[in-house]
Amino acid sequence: MPVADSVTVRNTVAYAIEQAESAASEGQQQVSLHLVAVASTRAVDPDAQTELGQAKDLLDRIEVWLDEDLGADPPSNLDVELGVIGADRYLFSPGDYADVILAYADEHSIERVVLDPEFNPGGTTPMLRPLEVELVRGDIDVETAPVERPARSTALARAATLPKYLTIFGASYLFYLLLSSYKPLDFLTGAITATIVTALLAPIAFSRQPSLTRVPGQFARMALYIPYLLKEIAVANLEIAYVVLHPSLPIDPEMVELEAAIWGDGPVTTLANSITLTPGTLTVSVSEQAFDIHSLTGSAREDLFDGGLERAVRFVFYGREAAAIPSPRERGQGDGDGTIESDIDDPEVADDD
Amino acid sequence: MTPLEWGIVVLALVGAFFGGVASVGIVRLPDVYTRTHAASKSDTLGAVLAIGAAALAIQTDLATIKAVFLLVFMFLTNPTAAHAVARAAQDQGIEPWTAGDEEGES
Repeated sequence: MPVADSVTVRNTVAYAIEQAESAASEGQQQVSLHLVAVASTRAVDPDAQTELGQAKDLLDRIEVWLDEDLGADPPSNLDVELGVIGADRYLFSPGDYADVILAYADEHSIERVVLDPEFNPGGTTPMLRPLEVELVRGDIDVETAPVERPARSTALARAATLPKYLTIFGASYLFYLLLSSYKPLDFLTGAITATIVTALLAPIAFSRQPSLTRVPGQFARMALYIPYLLKEIAVANLEIAYVVLHPSLPIDPEMVELEAAIWGDGPVTTLANSITLTPGTLTVSVSEQAFDIHSLTGSAREDLFDGGLERAVRFVFYGREAAAIPSPRERGQGDGDGTIESDIDDPEVADDD
Repeated sequence: MTPLEWGIVVLALVGAFFGGVASVGIVRLPDVYTRTHAASKSDTLGAVLAIGAAALAIQTDLATIKAVFLLVFMFLTNPTAAHAVARAAQDQGIEPWTAGDEEGES
């Protein structure tokens, strides 16, 4: 059973233990119950320590529950394993989670997976249904524990906090007013509309708490990033236009993999979209550790592994210090033709803010 | 013609040029991935320049702001759509065309 903190994890663990116990008392053969926390970040990412800490806490709590539920004398042919899996890669989609869980199940010859009905390690996006679908690929039984759970609305309402409400309300009100004709009535209807939008979206809009210290900085740096991106887009288009209109169609497409030193939904999305918009590169899939990128020409690949965009995205989301990192080529990626370029200080992005 | 009008004309023409490049690219390029390149990049720039020209030409505050929002959303949604197309193609197991298979069917 994969575990993650949720309102029903306690009951699901109880259910799994009960099932394992009854299986153990029926037969003579050894029954083992594995309770594993699935880590989404890689152990090398900055967020990983927090995540691993939370996983450890949860496993500690589960150990206490185990003592409670199994009582003084557990069946001798039942053993219980606790652990963290998936810490070696970045998990993104339900498919990635399913891969990790199936690999683990295979390794320990597990026949049955019990899912917590509120299992949702990826944050706010619903995870359970797609995960179930993906798990069916494997040769194991999948079931969702029949446990009571609170109504969905209360679970969601807990996730929304005052800063989120204020941010969404402010943004939607501003947007409404921008497009209105500035009559007094517009201010009233705008407030009503923004309230409705806020009530609907606040529980799902942010994966992290918006903070007054972080967000304005990100916006300011985003404002610097946009001109840089526009320039890159213009260059990209001239290149594409040249290639497409050239009589002999000088393309050399190739699929490459970029292991980007960024993490989190927002930065990954920004980088993936920026890559798609700029010189001859197209993000095909973002999976596990890496971006799969289809590149149209050789020079596009050079640019990609010089890492200008990656550095710019790091600058936008993590601040100026984070921008000064080795380019992907210097980290030993790319085609390895030995031409290491040292343009660490990208003037467009590394300047003032 | 005023400089502003020149600006509008130039933007519209360049936009149309890149729109044309996108179309030619979709026809000439060999496979779904390379075509998505043409569709996502040239098309975005073409549309953005055209909308920019429209924004300059309309010249009322409100409509210009709306056009700017359109630009922003084009920049956000076009690459996402391209990614969706490419990812779907990859999930279907379509191998990218390489310079090796010159006779590769399109």
